[in-house]
Amino acid sequence: MTMIFALAARLRLALAWLGALLFVAAGFMLTWEVGARYLFVKPTIWAAELSQLCLIWGSLLSMAWLLAARRHIAVDAVADRLPPAVRAWTEAAAMAVVAVFAGVTAWYGWEIFLDSAIRGRTSGTMLDVPMWIVEAPVPLGCAMLSLQALAEMAKAFRTDWSAPRGMGEHT
Amino acid sequence: MTVVLILAGLFTLLLMRVPVAFALGALGLGLLVAGGFSPLMSPQAMLSTLDGFILLAVPLFLLMSNVLLKGGVGADLFAAVHAWVGHWPGGLAVATILSCGIFAAISGSSVATAATIGTVAIPEMISRGYDRRFVFGLLAAGGTLGILIPPSIPMIVYGFITEESVISLFLAGIGPGIALVVLFVVYAMIHARFLGGQVREPAASWAERRRSSLRAAPSVALSALIIGGIYSGAFTPTEAAAIGFAAALVITAFVLRTLTWKGLREATFESMVTTTAILLIIGGAHIFGKAITLYRVPQDISVFIGENIHTPLAYVVVISLVLLLMGLVFEATSMVLIMTPVLLPAAMAMGFDPIWFGIFMVVMVECALITPPVGLNLYVIQAVGRTTLSEVSRGVLPFLGLMLLIVAILYVWPDLALYLPFKL
Repeated sequence: MTMIFALAARLRLALAWLGALLFVAAGFMLTWEVGARYLFVKPTIWAAELSQLCLIWGSLLSMAWLLAARRHIAVDAVADRLPPAVRAWTEAAAMAVVAVFAGVTAWYGWEIFLDSAIRGRTSGTMLDVPMWIVEAPVPLGCAMLSLQALAEMAKAFRTDWSAPRGMGEHT
Repeated sequence: MTVVLILAGLFTLLLMRVPVAFALGALGLGLLVAGGFSPLMSPQAMLSTLDGFILLAVPLFLLMSNVLLKGGVGADLFAAVHAWVGHWPGGLAVATILSCGIFAAISGSSVATAATIGTVAIPEMISRGYDRRFVFGLLAAGGTLGILIPPSIPMIVYGFITEESVISLFLAGIGPGIALVVLFVVYAMIHARFLGGQVREPAASWAERRRSSLRAAPSVALSALIIGGIYSGAFTPTEAAAIGFAAALVITAFVLRTLTWKGLREATFESMVTTTAILLIIGGAHIFGKAITLYRVPQDISVFIGENIHTPLAYVVVISLVLLLMGLVFEATSMVLIMTPVLLPAAMAMGFDPIWFGIFMVVMVECALITPPVGLNLYVIQAVGRTTLSEVSRGVLPFLGLMLLIVAILYVWPDLALYLPFKL
C-alpha cells in the first residue's frame, strides 16, 4: 500500500512538472510565431493552436498535485480557526465535495471524449486537430483529481490539525 | 429567496475550505442538475475556459515576472532609481515606490512586485532609520501597483469573463496607476518631512547613476517593449507575454548573468502552480456563471439594486463597502470572478463604462490584497520583513486610505482611466 502511495506521489509530481514544461513550451512557440511573422514574413499555422493545447493539458494534468500540496486557492480564515476535531470533519466534507464534482465532470467529460473519438470529430481549424486530443485531459485530469480528493478525505482524520497550515496561491 | 440560498451555499462551501475553483464548480453543477439541465455543461464549460487564447497570457506573464524575480532584477531596478532620487526627503521610500511602479510594468502580479522590491528595500529602509510600520505598509501597498499598472492578471481575467478588450483595460490602468504612484510618493515625502527620523542620504555621483541605470536599462526597455508592442498592435497581449518571457530569459541568463538553473526551475514550477490555481477558478466560475444565469440570479440582483439604489454614487459607495468586506476573506482573482457577473449588469444599467468598472474592480481588489486577515501582500511582507501580521496590517492603513481616494477620484473624473483607451 505504501508503495502505491509513493508511486502515486511521483506520478503527481511528474505530471505537475509536465504541466510546467508545457507552459514554457507555449511561451517559446508564441515567441517563434511573432518572430516568424515579422522576421520571415511567414506566420505559422501551428503555434497558436499547439500552445492552446499546452495550456489545456498543462493545467488539467497538474490539478491533482495542487490538491495534494494544498496549493489551490481556498479561504482559510475560518476553517483554520476551528477546533482540530471539527476541522477534520470539515476537511473530509470539503474533499468529498471535490471528489463528487471531479468524478461527475470526469464521467461526462469521458462521454464527450468518447463521442468525438468514435465520430472522428476534428477542430475544423487550420491544423484540424482531432477533438479527442483536446478533450482527453478533462476526464483524465478530473478522474485523477477525484481519486486524490478521496485520498485526502481519508487522510483528513489522520492529520494533526493543531499544526500551522500553508496558504493558498496568489496573483 | 433563490439568490439568498445560492449565496449561502457558496459561502458555506468556501468557509469549509473547499478550494474556490471546486466550490464554484460543484455548486454550479449541483444547480444545473437540480434545475434539470445537462451536467455535460460542466466539462464543456471547463474546456471552453481553457480554450481561451487570452488566458494563455496568464502563465506567460507569470513566467516572465518569476524569471525576473529569480534573476534579481529587483535589486538592479531599486539601485538605479535610488541613485536618482535617494537624496530627496524620504528618498529611499520614494525610490521604493518608483521601483514598484516600474516593476509593475513588467509584472502582472502584485505578490511578485511586493516580494521582488521588498527583498531589497525593506532591510535598506530599516537600516536607515525609517519607521518599521511605515516601511511594511509602503511595500505591501506598493506591491499592489503590480495589478493596476499593465500587464495585469486580474485585468486579463476581467476581460475574459466580460468579453471586454484586454488592451483597453491595460491602457485604462496606466492613468490610475501613475496617479497612485504620485499619491504614494507625496505621502512618503510628507511622512519623511514631519514624522521621519531617518538618515538623510547624500546624492549619488553621476558615475554611479550612469552605472546603475545601464544595469537596469534592459528591464525598463522590456516594459516599454511590452506596452508599446500591445498599444501599437504589433502583437496581442498573449504574444507580448510570450516575448516578455523569452526576453526575460535572455536578459537574466545572458545579459545580467544572474539566473541560475535552480532559479529557473523554481520560476517554472511556481508559474505552473499559480496558473493552474487561477485558471481552474475561472473554469469553476464559468460553470457557476452558467448555472446562476439559468436561475436568473444576476438579473434578480440587478433588479434589486435598481429598486433600492437610485444614484450611481450610492451604488459605488455600497459596492465598495461590499467589496471591502469581501476582501477581508477573499483573494483577488476569486473576488473578480464571483462579483463581476453579479455587479456588472447593474453597473452598466447605471451608466458605468465596463472598462471603467474593470479598473474600479482592480483597485478594490488591490485593497483586498492588503486587508487582514486574508491579504496576500501582507503575508508576503510579513515573510520578507520577518515581522508580525499586525505590524504590517497597521502600516498599510494610510495607504488603504490613499487607494480609496483613487476610487473617489476615478468616480469624479472617469477620464483618469478612460482617456488613454478611448480619447487619445
